[in-house]
Amino acid sequence: MAMPEVTARPRPAPGTPPLVQLRGIAKYFPGVVANQDVDLEVWPGEIHALLGENGAGKSTLMNILTGIYQPDAGEIIIDGYLKSFASPVEAIAAGIGMVHQHFKLVRAFTVAENIHLGWSETPRRISPQELEARTAQLSASLNLAVRPGARVDELSTGEQQRVEILRVLARKARVLILDEPTAVLTPSEARELFKALKEFVARGNAVIFISHKLDEVLEISDRITVLRGGHKVATEPTSACSETMLAKLMVGHEIVLDDLRARGPNAVARSNEPVVGLREVTVRDGSGHAVLNNISLDIAGGEILGIAGVAGNGQKELSELLTGMRVASSGQIMLGGRDVSASGAADFADFGVGHIPEDRLRSGLAPALSVTDNAVIREYDRPPVSLGPWYRPRAAAALARKIAEAASVMVPNYSMPIRNLSGGNQQRFVARREMRIATKLLVAAYPSRGLDVGAINTMMRYFVELRDAGVGIVVISEELEELFNLSDRIAVMFHGEIMGIVDTAGADIERIGLMMGGQRATSPARAAAMVH
Amino acid sequence: MAIRVQRLPSASPAIALAARAIAILLALVTAGLLLAAGGAQPLKLAQQVLKSTFGSGFGLEDVGLLVTPLILTGLSVAVALRIGAWNIGAEGQFYAGAFAATGVALFIPGPAIVMLPLMFVAGALGGLVWILVPTLARAYADVSELITTLLLNFVATLLVYYVATGPWLDPGGHALGTTARLKHDIPEFIGMVHWGFPIAMLLAVITAAAFSFTRWGYEVRIAGSNPQAAKYAGMPFRRHLIVVMLLSGAIAGIAGMLEVAGTVHRLQGGISNNFGYLGIMVAVLARGSCIGVIAGAALMAVILNSGIILQTQGVNTSTVLAITGLILFFTAIGDELAHFRIVSSKPAEA
Repeated sequence: MAMPEVTARPRPAPGTPPLVQLRGIAKYFPGVVANQDVDLEVWPGEIHALLGENGAGKSTLMNILTGIYQPDAGEIIIDGYLKSFASPVEAIAAGIGMVHQHFKLVRAFTVAENIHLGWSETPRRISPQELEARTAQLSASLNLAVRPGARVDELSTGEQQRVEILRVLARKARVLILDEPTAVLTPSEARELFKALKEFVARGNAVIFISHKLDEVLEISDRITVLRGGHKVATEPTSACSETMLAKLMVGHEIVLDDLRARGPNAVARSNEPVVGLREVTVRDGSGHAVLNNISLDIAGGEILGIAGVAGNGQKELSELLTGMRVASSGQIMLGGRDVSASGAADFADFGVGHIPEDRLRSGLAPALSVTDNAVIREYDRPPVSLGPWYRPRAAAALARKIAEAASVMVPNYSMPIRNLSGGNQQRFVARREMRIATKLLVAAYPSRGLDVGAINTMMRYFVELRDAGVGIVVISEELEELFNLSDRIAVMFHGEIMGIVDTAGADIERIGLMMGGQRATSPARAAAMVH
Repeated sequence: MAIRVQRLPSASPAIALAARAIAILLALVTAGLLLAAGGAQPLKLAQQVLKSTFGSGFGLEDVGLLVTPLILTGLSVAVALRIGAWNIGAEGQFYAGAFAATGVALFIPGPAIVMLPLMFVAGALGGLVWILVPTLARAYADVSELITTLLLNFVATLLVYYVATGPWLDPGGHALGTTARLKHDIPEFIGMVHWGFPIAMLLAVITAAAFSFTRWGYEVRIAGSNPQAAKYAGMPFRRHLIVVMLLSGAIAGIAGMLEVAGTVHRLQGGISNNFGYLGIMVAVLARGSCIGVIAGAALMAVILNSGIILQTQGVNTSTVLAITGLILFFTAIGDELAHFRIVSSKPAEA
């Protein structure tokens, strides 16, 4: 266990206890050891990264530290005193606050109301004006700019995150825990966040930063603790770490993030005719606002088109448009030479379009139904699962077994609800199910979200396999690195429009970052000028 | 060795069934203790109930008459649950079905062989019409069917009171507050039990089969479990919602028709005997299974019949209501507890 000898920050005075010390923490869930024998020390003035694959026990450990879970064994020592937290309220009273990955704000309330909600220091009777004034004061003193009077649902995700952080810091937190904080931010918003975090720790506080993005962990943290399978495998000063070394610690063996753009010898070449073509397509939401604006796009067979952009810039709508779940307000969609502008999702599936949706539990699966029911959702209407109007449960079970085998998912019981499978297994299962019908196009929205490195690699191999078979693939992702490794071309979306499409070979990641922020690809000179 | 309690995401069927049996037993024991505290002799009463119910053909026939409407109202609620809708209005649809069937019987002349099927169809349509507005309101305006179906119960109840004591009052004047005796009876099946009983069983089996062995049933299963997934797969959620809810109403209407034409023979206020509300409990006891409804209805019929016997022994009617409440309460606890299992694990290795 290395002490923070190599950090650039001022070291705490001798005799200062660590702000947070966890000793021998263990937590068990049904059939799972979530944490076992975990030690962790966090010192004043440090940003401590907690790194690990999904299911490595990072969130459980932090939920224990913040009083959401009780440990089955071990001690929590804060500032040298042994503590036990029965609830997050007690943890925050001891100076430990957490900003969760999914914000816990009341969307219909203003920023000021959210800051003061459930806070003992909120006066019993107070006018909205005073509440906003108090918030503005807090915002100024903690150097986190927010708009006190704005309703939360008007805010961008970056602003919402600032509100969450302000909410925690206003309660005099000395340890701020952030769970995947940059997942929802643009690169510039992330930089602002990092700046704020550095200021916060410079005042003698500490940050615990949960992530599985290696590059940003290396950029922001002072020390890194790696968890694997619920155990702590290492704590190292960041200056002694490299990406390959961390990846190896995380997965337990060396992983190769290779260039997947290279075709195999038997691969079908990229088709000249596009499998899908969008012609000046506009999609309006219920209030008439254009969520997709004048999109024209061709996707060839045997190519992978990456869609980059910050979440919420029309990617969801684009994926729904390409799979028939949403009808265009104007414009034309061509699929294999046929106009499908007015067709529905079932027709698209029949035409050979597979869809790995953004949120598999909410739309790709019926979580409470059996594995078998979920397996046949694409093929229930044709033999062998159906003969005429009749549904054949046995044929359905056989198909479910076939898909599970192809996905290498162990299913103990095909009639158990599919929500009992782990997230990674669900995703592989959905992917395999969709690959069966995707003869022309596969649309995958955030396919690696919530997956660990191993499962992401499997997913990428699936896409390559399908591409080499001549299918067109659209991958929507926030991970630029993933898109660079995988796609032949990258289209960047901003406010429902495509800012430009670039060939991945020779593309500049910084320029794509600028396009994500709303710059057009057509003015490279200006884009370059912005960089310098 | 450390002993820990684990909560499983889903209970195994065998344990769930055992938990139910224990829950029902515990509810009966609790009821017995309460009766004992009130000065009654629960064991003697239990013996009396068992003897009167299972000791004679008459007792079983009584249960058979009660179980018929309960299967159908339970089925009505269970069917609606398949698409994720709570039909609290089986009571009202029951009245509407009985009302429509009676109207046909009173005002259209014809031989029984024509009239009984016609009354059956009228009963189904009556129930269907009664759930039509809640169905359309839910499908097109997302109005909660819970409230609308519930409120229409009172309308149907009062409507039947009105016609039975007013315009359709028995001109012969032999009975107060009922219509004339219907000219056509559903023939008897076994003893006093009319053919409505096998019809109800058959409807439960057919419905269960339709959900398990047709493409339509599969689509309803997906759409009811997750409308988003139905949209994703391109299944018409709204159409399924409308069809299934109307079916649910029609089944409750059939229950009303069978009751008036098979058991009571006159339309009168209070004819539903709360069968519509008890149907909700039957469906919950059956965990929404269409076949399970038969077992749930049988249990409920035995309890209702026991209540009638207990009354002859001087026990208050509300005691029976309390017993049904206790059963539901204990079953809910049992269902939750069935998710837990106790495991012993080795102490953690360092």
